[in-house]
Amino acid sequence: MMRTFRFSIVIAVAATACLLPAAAMARQFSQVSRTTNAPVAPSGATPRTPDGHPDLSGVWNGLGDNLIGVPNQMANAGIAVETESSTRDVASGARIATFPRGTTNPLNDEQAERAAALMRRMGSNRPVYKPQYWETVKKLDQNANEEDPANNCMPAGIPRAGIPSFVGQSPTYFIFIYPGTGGLIATQTSYRMIPVDGRQHTPLQDLDGTYTGEAIGHWEGDTLVVDTYGFNSSTWFDQIGGYMHSENMHVVERFHRDGNTLTWTATVEDPDVLLEPWTTTPRVALLNPNPEAVLPESLPCSERDLGHLVNKEHH
Amino acid sequence: MPTQAKNMLMVAAVAAIAFHSAGAQSRKPTANAGAGDKASLASEDILDRAKTLRAAADALGMVRWSDIGAGASRLPAVDVVNTMELWGSGTTYGSGQAYKPGAPWPAFKTEIHVALAYNPAAMRVETTCTNSDASAQGRAVPLHIIQVVRDKYAWDESAIGAGLVPGKGTATPVMAADNNRLLRLWILPYGVVKAALAAGDKTKTSTENGTTVITFPLSGQLAGVTVKATLDAKNQVAKVETRTDNPALGEMFTETEYSDYADHGEEILTEIKSPGHIVQKRGGHPVLDIQVKKVDANNPYLVFPVPENVKNAAVH
Repeated sequence: MMRTFRFSIVIAVAATACLLPAAAMARQFSQVSRTTNAPVAPSGATPRTPDGHPDLSGVWNGLGDNLIGVPNQMANAGIAVETESSTRDVASGARIATFPRGTTNPLNDEQAERAAALMRRMGSNRPVYKPQYWETVKKLDQNANEEDPANNCMPAGIPRAGIPSFVGQSPTYFIFIYPGTGGLIATQTSYRMIPVDGRQHTPLQDLDGTYTGEAIGHWEGDTLVVDTYGFNSSTWFDQIGGYMHSENMHVVERFHRDGNTLTWTATVEDPDVLLEPWTTTPRVALLNPNPEAVLPESLPCSERDLGHLVNKEHH
Repeated sequence: MPTQAKNMLMVAAVAAIAFHSAGAQSRKPTANAGAGDKASLASEDILDRAKTLRAAADALGMVRWSDIGAGASRLPAVDVVNTMELWGSGTTYGSGQAYKPGAPWPAFKTEIHVALAYNPAAMRVETTCTNSDASAQGRAVPLHIIQVVRDKYAWDESAIGAGLVPGKGTATPVMAADNNRLLRLWILPYGVVKAALAAGDKTKTSTENGTTVITFPLSGQLAGVTVKATLDAKNQVAKVETRTDNPALGEMFTETEYSDYADHGEEILTEIKSPGHIVQKRGGHPVLDIQVKKVDANNPYLVFPVPENVKNAAVH
């Protein structure tokens, strides 16, 4: 037990040390004391660009979508703690028993890690794989310490990267930046340049699979729709769960701005491994209110801890 | 395999593995566990319901919270149990199928693998039964069956996940078994605590002979079924009593005993306590005696999609 406990600390410290700027920035918004993990209610008007579309540009690193912290991880998994006595599974609507904490004593790290591992996985919104992959997916998750590409500092990929922390917008393209992230996983910085100029996808057979694929955007009303394919199969498509995919994965993301919030969902189609398309639980990020906010540098991700594993307990 | 032996295995597999019922041929369970009626409750010590249920949930490790990376946020505790998988082995008994009048019910060596979820309510029970008295009852040829239930759908699979992909096995609708299969889920220790919490003020807590007793009605498809659960000194669910209407045996009182609680995870410990020994009796006869070998309680990836032909069967 103690060795596991020490390993947990090692991982947490390493991830934090490597990626401190991103974590610190996210914490700016985490100082708000909350007893729920529900998205913040939007406020303010939705600005528009001269061409009439919603202006999605800005630094979106507040509260909602990030990998840092159990409250957000639960929200991303579809568990909404709505009040101090009410919790709901967003996908199924099922009520989940909610209790006051049982003790004023803080949990030790081992207890907190084990609880967090359960809480991240309790949502019902799970992709349904073809039966021949059920054991594979389960084993990948059970062996995530070694198997998760992100634990080896590989790019998170799409849609696992979630909401970009920075959106740059022009009439004909978007720039998305995803800083390296500490916490649950440690991924390296990545970016996407997404044309919205009416072009069509390159034929799939002409693409070399990549981590972020070939993304083409278009507007559906006030919603930006980003259609992406041409992936490699080296990523998982959600934060946890061992959700592997094939090179035939097709992802459709939807971004909708409402005041100072940006809501994101992604639908994953992969007829090679999935029995049916899967859509993420909606995630909501808050606009950084500081007009001078910038993304600090993410330090290189360097994995040095896997050799210290003593069992399969994980984050 | 001799017909009689095969039939015996089938009966045992269908009737006894189960944490509760006689499977495909049985009907909707009916009330109730007996001692939980109002008359008896009035003379018992009434306990604080919330405290009793919380203690039972805590004893199983169901109630958890974590502040990792939470910053200033401080979320309440929640019930973290959703999916779970367990493996066990032991003995099942052919319910009411003695070879001679007065003889014990025939025994079968049984390997059991259970995958379950509470959200949505679903359970897949995979069993392999072998006749342990082959000389008297026929050759010991294992019988492998997979029984699944999800909400209002029940079916048997020729292999795990059968019927979902064309050409990959067969899913056979068994709608009549739906309620009894669902009941297996809700009389497991976690199901008891969840259902008792969900029943709100319909749940009664009391003491009987110095032990804590929880009595509550199930709802939804299982409305009309009352469950009586007895806690042990550590507030763990020790015994669950229900009564079902079995077409072959009439109204049948079933009691399931859980003991030897521990975190049965192997390389992934969760601090969720699971019974290491499950014994079930029906009408006073043993029908199930299982030692749990391993449990994955870390909300593993388990899914229960309903095959199209099963959905269609439910419609018709």
